[in-house]
Amino acid sequence: MPFETPSPTAKLSIQSLSKNYVIDQKALRVLLNIDLDVHEGEFVSIVGRSGCGKSTLLRLVSGLENDYSGTIQLDGKVINAPSLDRGMIFQDPSLLPWMTVRENVAFALVNQNIPKAEKDKRVLDLIDLVGLKGFESAYPKELSGGMAQRAAIARALVSQPKVLLLDEPLGALDALTRLRLQNELQRIWLQHRMTMIMVTHDVEEAVYLGDRVVIMDPEPGRIRRIVDVPLAHPRDRASPVLHAIRDEVLKDLTNGVVI
Amino acid sequence: MNTAVLTDIRPTTGDRIAKFFLGLRGFVIPILALVAWQLASQQGAVQAYVFVPLDGVFKSLIEHFADGEIPINWLASLGRTASGFAIGGLLGVSLGALMATFRPVDVLVNPIYQAIRQVPLLGYIPLISLWFGNGEPSKLLIISLAAFYPTVLNTYEGLKHIDARHVAVGRIFLASRWQTFRHIVLPGALPSVFTGLMQAVAFTWLSSVGSELFFNPGPGLGNMMANGQAAFRMEVVLLAVIIIGVTGYVTNLIVSKIADRVLRWRNVR
Repeated sequence: MPFETPSPTAKLSIQSLSKNYVIDQKALRVLLNIDLDVHEGEFVSIVGRSGCGKSTLLRLVSGLENDYSGTIQLDGKVINAPSLDRGMIFQDPSLLPWMTVRENVAFALVNQNIPKAEKDKRVLDLIDLVGLKGFESAYPKELSGGMAQRAAIARALVSQPKVLLLDEPLGALDALTRLRLQNELQRIWLQHRMTMIMVTHDVEEAVYLGDRVVIMDPEPGRIRRIVDVPLAHPRDRASPVLHAIRDEVLKDLTNGVVI
Repeated sequence: MNTAVLTDIRPTTGDRIAKFFLGLRGFVIPILALVAWQLASQQGAVQAYVFVPLDGVFKSLIEHFADGEIPINWLASLGRTASGFAIGGLLGVSLGALMATFRPVDVLVNPIYQAIRQVPLLGYIPLISLWFGNGEPSKLLIISLAAFYPTVLNTYEGLKHIDARHVAVGRIFLASRWQTFRHIVLPGALPSVFTGLMQAVAFTWLSSVGSELFFNPGPGLGNMMANGQAAFRMEVVLLAVIIIGVTGYVTNLIVSKIADRVLRWRNVR
């Protein structure tokens, strides 16, 4: 193979990352020696059983937690606090109930020096992008679970992050809404080509969306294996290759035990 | 084959009439009581003194509105309540906020606040009259305390129980300390603060009338009632009771409407 295109620069670089929690004066090892490079514009899914530290890994990358050993770097800069470089979406939409959809999305720019006209435009564009046009003045209590999560996605994107961190973003939604939002995530990702890292319990979702699927083992949380999904986006859910990879990941997750 | 059966669920005229009468259910007992009252007043002279005939009460309402007795006393009580509410509410919200924000204040003040709160307001009346006399300052102190207790407690609780997820949202978007307070802590605590203020409104009105009964004369509905009793003017006593009840009911209604408006985002399901 000729070296025509240089390999993409590693946007996010995690090296020998370990993390302990202290519970009852005993150290609990949550993450052990995590090494992971995520490329620019790549979609990485992380799956693993409960307690494998995948959410903790995401919180560390977001900067919400900063007590760890090893290094986490974004574009060569060490991460130790939240930054608008990294957007975050939780399983719970975590909208502020006293703000309308428009105010919630705009809150992402609360501490940014952006002219009001541009702010308004960006907010409305994002609300449009996630399909919430017409609901700008709705309060979170008036939204369905799927709509609330769409608003949270708009809020995470409005600051134009380089990396979007998704912590089981569709975990609380019903099956149909979930499939629809998976397609929306894929569409947004194709449109913006930002780096996305998504933690999920749903192997199908992980394989459908991810360029790579990171399989983690629990206690202590560590990477068991990384599976490539060499299919172009947007993908066909019925693709036999996709199903084969899904079965392989499932088998690996369950240690070959048939469920 | 499934055929969808669409039922017309628009209300019929019968539904509307039924709804109208259901809405009147709250009036049934008061009307029955009034009828019983009127009947009782017609049983003889003694009964007519205890149960003043309704037309007598109504006549006296017109009369004392015209001669200024009702407006003067009513406004005096309202003004006293408003002052006490303002003083006690302001101090209460401030102390609650200080206790929730600064740990040393919490440690120093919370135990004594909890201890003082155990004594009912009426239990302080002898002490207050010894210290501050029988006049206006003592009344104002009692009313202010009535607003102070619930606002301290509810402000403190509201600020202490801010949702951690909302605080995380503020951190993610790099909100400054002031922005976090303004957009996350303050609105998050507001429902609880409002609960405190609503209790304060109810308590101040009650204690306003109570303090007027206990302390020295001066204009007020409590005094109007006490004077009516002393002069054996049953209809004046009754009028005072009715005005106190209606005023309390209406102010509570107004405050809860304001709360519904300010907290319209709240999910009350």
